[in-house]
Amino acid sequence: MIVLLLGNFILMAFDAKEINSGQRVLRVWTQAAADFVQSPVTTITSAVTNYFQSFANLRTAQTDNDLLKQRVQELEVELKGKEDLASQNERLKKLLDLKETGKYKILTASIIGRDPSIWFDSSIINRGSLDGVKLNMPVVTDGGLVGRVTAVGPLTSQVDLITRDKSGLGAVVGEISSSNAIGVVSGTSKRDLLDMRYVPGSIEIQVGSIVYTTGQDGIYPAGLKVGEIVEVISGSATNPHKISIRPSAGLNSMQEVGVLIYEPPAKEVFEQKLPNAVATPAKGR
Amino acid sequence: MEGIKITIAIIIAVVLQWTLRNVAEPLAYIDFPLIIVVYAALQRNAIKAILFGTLAGLAVDALSGGLLGANGFVKTLIAFIVSEIARRVYMDNLLLRIPVIAGACLLNNLLYYSLHRLLGQEPAGQVVVIMAYSLIGTTIAGTIVYLILDSVFVQKKRPKKRDMFSPRRQTRRRNPIRLNK
Repeated sequence: MIVLLLGNFILMAFDAKEINSGQRVLRVWTQAAADFVQSPVTTITSAVTNYFQSFANLRTAQTDNDLLKQRVQELEVELKGKEDLASQNERLKKLLDLKETGKYKILTASIIGRDPSIWFDSSIINRGSLDGVKLNMPVVTDGGLVGRVTAVGPLTSQVDLITRDKSGLGAVVGEISSSNAIGVVSGTSKRDLLDMRYVPGSIEIQVGSIVYTTGQDGIYPAGLKVGEIVEVISGSATNPHKISIRPSAGLNSMQEVGVLIYEPPAKEVFEQKLPNAVATPAKGR
Repeated sequence: MEGIKITIAIIIAVVLQWTLRNVAEPLAYIDFPLIIVVYAALQRNAIKAILFGTLAGLAVDALSGGLLGANGFVKTLIAFIVSEIARRVYMDNLLLRIPVIAGACLLNNLLYYSLHRLLGQEPAGQVVVIMAYSLIGTTIAGTIVYLILDSVFVQKKRPKKRDMFSPRRQTRRRNPIRLNK
């Protein structure tokens, strides 16, 4: 018994030490084995749920239909206006020679499993290394940033959410080009709240502002939507603000996600930036 | 034979733990592997129970965002404690098993949370709420599972005919050979 306890404890300590850097072989292969169970269960469950959901939806179908007809008419009028704005935007872009920002390939994936322990919130997706997924790739939904890949098996991957207490990312309030309210967003262990720290207290921050990634953390690309500010405890000239953010990705109800096929640019070795350093070729991570 | 049955039960428990959160979120509060590990420990075979505890714990850890080995450590320890208690105290009654599974669940959650805090990890959610729901869910599910397991595992003895009926009374016959004559 002592040997087993000691073995488990060493495994735990090793995992805790390198929780953000590596992945365990045991974890990867168990996930691969679990995929054969989880995928059919998820398929059957969603099929049964959709079947009963369709009955429930019939009750409100007539009302929804009337509302939708009205909404279509409104949207047609809106669309006319948007088309004009889009063409104007296109012209202005050409004028300013702006580059497109949506340059990352997105691999769509379904969530086939949730964390078996109630204490954590990681998810298992049905894409793995055979699909091109790599460790630390960002995961998003149409709402915004979800988290990053923390373990990759051949067929499946594990995703840790941004709400986890050990997660962190560089973020800015508002668009990066127009704001200097830069700080660090980290998880709070609460499932629907993030903390933003180190935003200078001298900058005015509004509740309801949107927070985006800066790309300076070496994991996430710049410009991804993180969430909306729900609370600001104002700081002073010497104290930073304490900001609470609600993630915009809808972390509790997501079924489909996208893995950004993104690899951050290789970091330069710090010494090379020193004025007296001898010039050597840059090394990758 | 009983070992094989418990092995099958523990595999089913791990698979249920992996999949049931997909079906409904509240089902994640039930710790199925713990229920089976405690059941195995109540059979008074400490070594088997400890091995089951380690394997089931590691299988859950492997798919969890928590520390690898945390569940393995906790379930190993619980299997040992329960089997030691079962060796000293009579535990074959279902009513006596209810406080055992409740206590094991409480200890499991406390140790799991403490180990993560000790190693610098903060589990998500409110501790007291999660522990309370887990205690209720696991105790109720555990009681039902034990009823099922008891009915599966206890080998039913077919009563023999001579046990069912009282032995026929034999009339005493006189010995036809009279030795004294």
